[in-house]
Formats: sequence, C-alpha cells, structure tokens
Amino acid sequence: MIVRWVCEKDNRKWIYPIKKCLYCGEPVKKQVGRKTKVIGLTKVNIPSPLHPITPYNIILLEDEFGNRMPKKTMKDYKIGDVYSIEKAKTDSAVIITKIKYDLGESLKESLNLLNSFDIEKQDKVLIKPCIIEPAYPYQTSNTSPKLLDEIIKMLKDMGVSDIIVGDQAMPGNDTTASAKKSGILDVCKKNDIPLVDLRKSQYIEKTEDGMKFSIAKEIMERKVINVPVMKTNSQLGVSGAMENMLRVVDENTQMEMFAVDIEKTLPKLIKALPKFVTIGDATIGMHAQGPTLLGEPAFMNMLFISKDPVALDSAFSEVGMLPTPEYIKEATGINEYDAYVKKLEIVGDELEAARYHLKVPDKTASAHPRIKLIDAKSNPLVFYTALKASSKLVGLPGHEINIAMGKFLTEEMVNGKKRIIAYGTDAINKLKELNITPIAEVPEDMGDIEKLTLLKSILENPDKKSVSVKDKMKSKLAGLGAKIKGAF
Amino acid sequence: MYYVKGVGMTKFGVHSKTSQELCYEAVMEALEDANMQLSDIDQIIISKGDSLHDGERQRLFQGVLSNILGCEDIPIFRVTAACSGGGSAFWDAVHSGKKNVLVLGVEKLSPCLTKYLTDEFMMAAERIYEQTEGLNFPAQNALVAQQYMIKYGATSDDLALIALKNHENAFDNPKAKFYKKKVTLDMIKKSPVVASPLRLFDCSISVDGAAAAIISKDKTDIKIAGSSLYAGRLSTFESPDMSTWEATVLAAKDAYNEAGVTHEDIDFVEVHDAFTPVELLSYEDLGFAKKGQGPKLIRDGTTKINGSLPVNTSGGLKAKGHPVSATGVSQIYEIVRQMRGRCDKRQLDRTRTGLAHNVGGAGSTVTVHILKNLGG
Amino acid sequence: MVSMKVYIKGVGMTKFGVDRKSSHERICEVIGECLKSTDMNFDDIDVIFASNSESERNEERQKHQGPMLSTLFQREMPILNVPAGCAGGGVALWNSINYLRSSDCKNIMVIGYDNIVSLTSEIITDEILMGSERICEQTEGLNFPAQNALVAQQYMMKYGATSDDLALIALKNHENAFDNPKAMFYKKKVTLDMIKKSPVVASPLRLFDCSISVNGAAAAIISKDPGNIEIIGSGMCTTSLSPIERKDMTSMSSTIKAAKTAYEQAGIKPEDLDIAELHDAFTPLELLSYEDLGFAKKGHGAELIRDGTTKINGSLPVNTSGGLKAKGHPISPTGLAQIYEISKQMKNECGKRQINKPKYGLAQNVGGVGTMAAVHILKNLN
Repeated sequence: MIVRWVCEKDNRKWIYPIKKCLYCGEPVKKQVGRKTKVIGLTKVNIPSPLHPITPYNIILLEDEFGNRMPKKTMKDYKIGDVYSIEKAKTDSAVIITKIKYDLGESLKESLNLLNSFDIEKQDKVLIKPCIIEPAYPYQTSNTSPKLLDEIIKMLKDMGVSDIIVGDQAMPGNDTTASAKKSGILDVCKKNDIPLVDLRKSQYIEKTEDGMKFSIAKEIMERKVINVPVMKTNSQLGVSGAMENMLRVVDENTQMEMFAVDIEKTLPKLIKALPKFVTIGDATIGMHAQGPTLLGEPAFMNMLFISKDPVALDSAFSEVGMLPTPEYIKEATGINEYDAYVKKLEIVGDELEAARYHLKVPDKTASAHPRIKLIDAKSNPLVFYTALKASSKLVGLPGHEINIAMGKFLTEEMVNGKKRIIAYGTDAINKLKELNITPIAEVPEDMGDIEKLTLLKSILENPDKKSVSVKDKMKSKLAGLGAKIKGAF
Repeated sequence: MYYVKGVGMTKFGVHSKTSQELCYEAVMEALEDANMQLSDIDQIIISKGDSLHDGERQRLFQGVLSNILGCEDIPIFRVTAACSGGGSAFWDAVHSGKKNVLVLGVEKLSPCLTKYLTDEFMMAAERIYEQTEGLNFPAQNALVAQQYMIKYGATSDDLALIALKNHENAFDNPKAKFYKKKVTLDMIKKSPVVASPLRLFDCSISVDGAAAAIISKDKTDIKIAGSSLYAGRLSTFESPDMSTWEATVLAAKDAYNEAGVTHEDIDFVEVHDAFTPVELLSYEDLGFAKKGQGPKLIRDGTTKINGSLPVNTSGGLKAKGHPVSATGVSQIYEIVRQMRGRCDKRQLDRTRTGLAHNVGGAGSTVTVHILKNLGG
Repeated sequence: MVSMKVYIKGVGMTKFGVDRKSSHERICEVIGECLKSTDMNFDDIDVIFASNSESERNEERQKHQGPMLSTLFQREMPILNVPAGCAGGGVALWNSINYLRSSDCKNIMVIGYDNIVSLTSEIITDEILMGSERICEQTEGLNFPAQNALVAQQYMMKYGATSDDLALIALKNHENAFDNPKAMFYKKKVTLDMIKKSPVVASPLRLFDCSISVNGAAAAIISKDPGNIEIIGSGMCTTSLSPIERKDMTSMSSTIKAAKTAYEQAGIKPEDLDIAELHDAFTPLELLSYEDLGFAKKGHGAELIRDGTTKINGSLPVNTSGGLKAKGHPISPTGLAQIYEISKQMKNECGKRQINKPKYGLAQNVGGVGTMAAVHILKNLN
C-alpha cells in the first residue's frame, strides 16, 4: 500500500501527511495505491546497525498511480513481479507492519490482514491500553495517545457505539493521574469515552489449571482490544501482549501469581481469559531498562497485531533479537521453541526484514549506579518500589549495595555478594532459610522516608556491616517527621 | 564578482592526523598559494559533518577552528549538506558579500567502523520510507543505476570503464588515495557486489582529508563565473523519472546562464562520481550528452584525459577519495591547479573554462560552479 | 559596504513544549503563520536557509536537511542547512542577510527547528556535551551547566554578584513568560522561593538557573521589499571554543565584537535601544551580556536587575518573551524566536506583555559558552 497526499489544483504530490496545500491553501486528498509491482531490485551485501543481517534485497514498488516505494525483503523477486500481501490464514497469525507516516491507514490495512476481526458494531468493546505510571508520551511507558485515538476512530467508523477504555496502574500509582500525564485521558475526553480504573472494578472469579484468578468483570463482559506498549522488561525479559493482561486481575491475584511463580502463572492467566485481539504499540516501543521510565525509547515505528498473544510476544522477541523469556516458552506449551518460531505465521512485513536490534536489559541494574538488584521474580509491589527508591537516591555518592528480593532466591544468586539488604518479607524469610545474614531487613510496608533514610545510611557508609538500633531510630524519626510535616 | 586567490588540500587517505591537523595543513597551503596572511581573511565558512562515532565527538567545530587558526575577530560558521557540503560552503561564500573569504571542507571518516559509516550515510536518506527498508547509500544509487540501465541499455561494462578512467587519472595525482596504485579493468569487474548491480569498485572510498580555497573580490586570474545550488527531493523514488536528477539540471542551467556560456564552452569537468552511475547520469544532466547518450562519451573516450572533454582528471571521488565535506572544495582545487598549469603528468592543454559539480545524497543537493581562466 | 535594506516581512513560531509532533508538522505550522501576516505566497520565497542540529540519536535521524525540506515543500529550490548549536537561528539569519544583499533574490525564509526532547535526559545532556571541547572539557565531565557554572563563579568572585542576582533574573523571565502563550511556562507561576530552593545542578547554578530543553520551530521571512520592520544591524563573530582558555572568562568577546558590528551598521548606541532579547541559556549569561552589549559598565551588570531597569516596566525590558529560561530553549529555533518576539512587540501584538512603542530592538543569540554570537538590531518603521 502506497499513500500520497495530493493537491489536485496545483498538481503536486506529497509523501508526508500534510493537511493543506502550502501553495493554494486547499485541503489535500489522500491517494492510496494497492496494486503494486516490482520495477527495480537490488541485493545489498553490507550490514549496518539498523540492518545487521545480510544479504537482503530491496525491491522498488510502483502502484497504479505511478507512485513508488522501496521495500526490504529476504525473498527473491524479478522485475515485473506483482507484489501482494496475503491475508492471515489462522487465528495465530501475527501481522507485523512498518508504519509509513499515516498511522490510521497502516492500522486499517493491518487489521484487514487478520483472517477475521471478530468485532461488530453491536458489540460492547473495552480497549485495554498500558497505563502504568505518570509519564509524558515521549517517555513511552504508556500507550501512545495517537494510536489510541486512531483505534477509537476506527471503531466509531465501524459503527461501534459502546466503547470504554480501562486499565489499572502499577501497584502504588494512580491510574487517572497516569492517564492524564500520558495524554490518554485527553483522548478519552475528546472522543467522549469513559476511562475506567480497573482497580475499582467488580471482580469475577475463574479457575484455570488449579489457580484462582479474580478478573475484572469488564474483561469478561466485553470484547477486548489489548493495546500494550512493546517493551523489554528487566525482570521478565519482554513486556508485551501477555504482560499487559496481568493488570486485569486484582492486586491480590497479582501478588499470588508472583508468589507461586509468575513465569508459570502468567500463561495460565492467558488461558483463563476470553479471546481478545492485541494491537501491540511499537510506534516507539522501549528497550534497555524497561518497562518503566528507566528504559529508553526504541523508535521502532511498527505495529504488531494478533489474536494470539503468545504468538505476538514470540514474534516481537524474535524481531527485537532478544533472548526468549521463559514465560513465553512456557506459554507455547511446546518443548521445542525453535520449531514453534519457525512455524509462526507472519503476515505483512517479513520477520527477517523487520529485525531491529533492541538493547537487552541488565537484570541487576537500578537507577543508581551503585545500587544493584538481586531479583528472584519478586512481585510488582516489591520490585517497583525498590526501583523508585533507587531513583530517589540518584545523585548521592555511595558504595555498592545489593538489594535482594523475591522468594526464589538461591544461594548461588547471593554467593560472593557483599552488603546485601533483604527487601520484602519473601526475601527476609528466604535469606533466613539460607542462613545468610543481610546488612538490613526492610519489609515492604516500611514508610517511604524511613526506607530511604535507612538505605541512604548504608549506601554512604562503606564500613557498615549491620544496622544498629540507632540507625533504625533515626530513620523511624525521619519517617515520622515527614508524616507530621505532611499533615500540616 | 569573486575570484579565486589560492587553494590548498591534504592528501586524501587514511590519516592518523586529527581533523584539527588536517584543517591546519589545508589552510596553510591555501594561504601560501594565495600569498596572504590569515589576518587578511574576513570570514571563514567550514563544512564538516559531525559523527557520533568518529572518535572526535566535536559539535561546535567553528570554535575549534578559531583556536587552531588563532582568529578571534571574524565570523566563522558551518554549513552541512552531506556530500555536497564543500560545494555548498563555496556557494555560500560566493554570496557572502565579504572581501576575502576562506572556504574549508574537512572530514575524518577512518576511525568509524564500516557499519557505523554505512549508518551515517544512511541518515542522509529519508527516514520512514528508506532508512527503515535498509536503503543505504549504495542501495539508493544501485536502484537509480538499474532504472537507467533498463531504460537506456547501459551496462555494468560502461560503469567499469568510468572507474578505470578515474583510476588511471588518480595514478598521477599525488593528493589522491590511489596515487601510484595500479587498478586494472579485471580488478574492477571482479570486485565483490556491494548492492547489485554495483560492485566495490563502483563505489567511492571514504577517507580523511581537508581542502581549502580562498576567494576574494580582488581580481585574479581565475574568475568564479557561475555559482548555483539547488536542493532537490530527498528520496530517489519520488521523481517521475528516476534516471534524471532534476536538481543537477536546474543548477547547471542557472550556472550556465550566470556565466554566459553553454555546455559546449566547457573544457574540463570535475563530476561528482560518488558511484560510477552518477557520473554517467551527470554527463546528460549537465548537458554534455542527450538523454540516454551518456555511455557514448565514455565508450568513445571523449571524457578520458586525452579526449575532447576530460572528466575527473583528479581521479574523481572514486580514485581520489571522498571525505564527504572536503570533496566539493577539492574539485575547485583541481580546476584551479589545471588552470595555473601545475598538474604535471595530468596537465591539460585547454583549460579556459572548468565546471565543478558537487552532489549530496542521491541527487538531493547539487551545486554547480563554473570557473573562467583569465590568465590566457 | 552593504547598502541594501533588509526588511522582516513575516514571523512564525510554534508553542515551545515537550509535545510529540514531528518536525514536518511544526515546519508547516510556522510557515503558515509567517505567510499569513504577509501578502506573499510560498512561491515567492526564493531561497531557504534552515538551521537544525542534525542529531543522530533522536527519532528523526536526518543528516541532510535541505532536501528534506524540498520534499516537504515539493519544490526544487536553493536550501541550505546552517547549524551552529544554540546560535543556529541567529547565524542562519545573519547568513541569509548577507546572501540577500549579495544576490538578485528578493525573499528569503529562515527556519529553525529541532526535536531534541524525544530521548532520555542523559542522552540529551550528552548531545549538548558534544558542543564542548573534546580533549580538555568533555573528558573532564565539563558539561554545559558546569561550563557556565565556572564562568558564573569567576564573575561572582571578581565583581561581587551573588546567586540572589541570578535568582532575580530567573524570576523576571518567568514573570514575563506567564503571559506569553508560546512559552513553555505560560500560565505557570514560579516564585522566588521555588527558584532559590531548587536543587543544585552544577554549583553555584541551580535548576532554575538553567534553561529548559524543549521542542519547537520558528521562522522569519526577510525581503528587499519594504515592510514595517527593518533589520538595520547584523553582526556575527566566533571565538575560541572553551571559555576556560580565554583571557577574561567573565566576558564574551564574540558578543562584544558582533554587537560592535551591529551597532555600527545601525548607527545607534546601546542607550537608544527600547527592548532586547538576550540569550539566557543560563542566568549568568544574561548578566554578562548586559555588560558585553554595553547596557552597563564591566562589573555593574547586576545593578540593572537589582534596580528593575531590565524588568518589563523598566527603561530597557530584557526578555519580555520569558527568554530561554522560561520560554524554552529548543536549540536551533531560539534565535528566530527572539526575532519573533521583537517583531510582535513592534507590531503591538503582545497582549499583556506589550511594552510601549519600541523603536529599536536587539536580539543576541549565542552558541556554546560564547563561542559564537549573532547580534541583530531591528528598527520599527510603524
């Protein structure tokens, strides 16, 4: 599909979306060409950072209007061949699209490639974006408001009238505040669509494979469009279609899932949920230390769409050249993961042609260069509050400390590490079991200021071997002081 | 009206010198050639790309230049236009209104790994349509070459002849990368394919180098008769005819008009052969051959050094080397040296009117300069 | 000597902020605004000079700006990119004026645009760090705030200015930006307490001493055809890259020399000025500029802010737009945004920030820590 913006009066064509002709001021018309053929091709043998795998081919396409566009492909074409994209054949197909300036057209075109969209105008729809923390749109922790706007527009054009947008922010963050800063609340208001905080929903219980899930009732009663941001995740590896659905269950269930083992329970949750379609937001995407503000924007400019969240996450992981997360392997239910990937039905852009080197997250890194994490699949409340604490301490000099979290800690993980702080009841208990005495034990319900004062005192003093009663008193007082100040 | 006083240039190649040292060398040679002092200069225009990976990580190069040359009183500024930086700086200097202007182009590419260099050049392509589809610089020119070959029946052999001609010329150019390095037609035709149908020897080589020129309102023996710059489309696939670079046609027309000459009056040319097909296209776009007749000029030897219209006696970008921003100014260097009879083995007999053609990207920014030899 | 008169026909500017528009959208917006106030068509523009930092790491990854604009405008024409760090806008304008006077063309458009806030703040700091000297400064961690901090410190030690003076400058600019719809801090109240208590970035400079990086675009059309605002003086000068190697760290010789050229061309003195837009990338720079531009004697710059001379109701209002501090500093467009403000003041279109009938205005745009300076003097012919 080749799109041009045409001013008929002046006979000019733009490859960029402009609203009015710069010369005559008249509105421009969109010209979309769909019958493309190959008029030129070249085989490229030199790699570059964005295109590391060679040789690859570039075909020059021309459509029925004489408009042209280059396309990267691993297949061999001849000049004169017709270029067409086949529709998906199965429900597990993943549609990968490189967005070309017009997000609305790319979205429409990609959804048309699904074997069936399964949403009709009389349906009640829930759009489930990723709203995890208050961040600006350019920081990409949350779903792009532009993409959300286009999805709502597309649904309304179809005639769908009952649409809501709903999500639950990460434990400790307020959903509405996060939606406001990220621009999502404005999009909802503009389209007259309610924003629902799933934290305040009613929950319906469902059991799957021996595990009880309390799922927000909107998920069970409506057709769901999952719109995650495609990111790396320093705990789990990838945050995509599956990880985004973690926040449709209530916080108790989330904690329980981590307590059992998130890599085994997340696939079970996906099985328990009714079928949904995922439009993966890689318009920017995030890599390095995702999935929160510590990550970097990846500028991928792609969409990943599928009715099968496991296939989608696998495809994303492959495109990003990331090591495959365990929970995705578990979710495929197949022993031979490589065979699974080979059999993935990829529609639209080819997987090989879409490869884009993403930075792999460092599992031990936090916001502060001297605070290292030893994370054993700790639950979100523990993990993200530890990250938040580390970012509050940025700028302070100090000596290395290791924060151990999670109940799956092993001797191997803490072996040789000095100045360990056990954070969270799970870690405190596990280290006791392993007969390892940490420098300090910090339960997750300790107040923020008290926690920070304690961490700061250990960070700054290289000789500290343990926390004294005096230290504990000091931090308690600091915490109380903050509470009193806040009260006034 | 501007005249060229002096020119200077470092040898193009892989240097261990820093850009500061390269600049210094080129400027000193130019000042000596012009018989001037640095205090006579009223303005300096420099062209230099700034790369993240060249080890120098220096953005405000103007300030560095001010240090090296010890000038604290005059305006020094930078222009960038990818590979046409040198020509663009020259064009801007000719329209600056100041009495004595120093134009400088410098680039340091050898410290960059090839993959980063490829990436740098790719950033001169359109982001969404070209960079995401792997259309790096050789690939862009490959598609253009292919369209030309389909339309007019030129072959890879024609491209190889162009490369051979330029290498033969560079053999005798002490400032060229391939000075005294013999390259045979066999080597060219058997070199590995970079982006089909272009082979390694169809692509110019990225090297380090600096070139400087001093122009002045004072009369000298070389007049800058025509100077034009046009920015054309960024992506090659946009224009209805991919085998014509509209910007070159427009820039050449303006320059010919200003100089009061036609293509028949031009005695020798420095053409921007970043890739051999570009030289072929430029024969036609600059008016030396009708559309589709370009290959004839190379096949019958017209553009060889002993032909009636010698092209790239310096070796061109192909065999002299292509330090992106310095190239445009090095073309002026060659033309001036030819006109002053200082080219030894490569010396031409007829050097009354010369043309320098500098291109950025794939026909995206084009500058054309016409110089007249008043020395007789 | 130059004799042709140069007029400003139209100006345009986006609201400076951290929005996620593309540069294309911003460029179309400012051109629309520029052309709207004239009777010109886009076809009447003969040459375009652009200014863009060509960063590799922002999502636009474009190193060849001229043709990108040609594709955006669907027209082959002379377009050249003149990047100069923070002085991009001013240098591109100065270069355009020279070009206009030395050629046959009639109308030139100057556009500055930058999309720097799409990266993490670490990468933005690094991009700007690359504007310091590589061996002596970048390796020693001398990032942009640190360079300015050392200059500020030398000034304070020599002439007895204090952080309070810097805070007063920041306060003045924020008060002005409160009424500027195009500013980042429009309708955002900032008190002296907030400024004095902000965290230290590079001592003695605090967060509120540093201008904020934003995205934006600004443009101006200059012409040989008569208009209401004439550019009567234009000067540019470049000195050494690092402030540390200059003889006098408390003075920017590039500003002094550029201003001298501009004043001479204009035939006026500093006392004749009614309004000035200065480059307050960091508050000490504004203080130094008072002296370098001749508003105050050396060492007496702080008096102008203490006695309110440079406030909006003073005798020489400085930075009525909010300056870089409170309007925002998108690097390349900044210089042109200064021209925008002065033009709007001269046309009586500044609403609550309007000052009384300014006749002569000065815009000073600086690159690095005084590495380059472009000074323009405008005259109101209304």
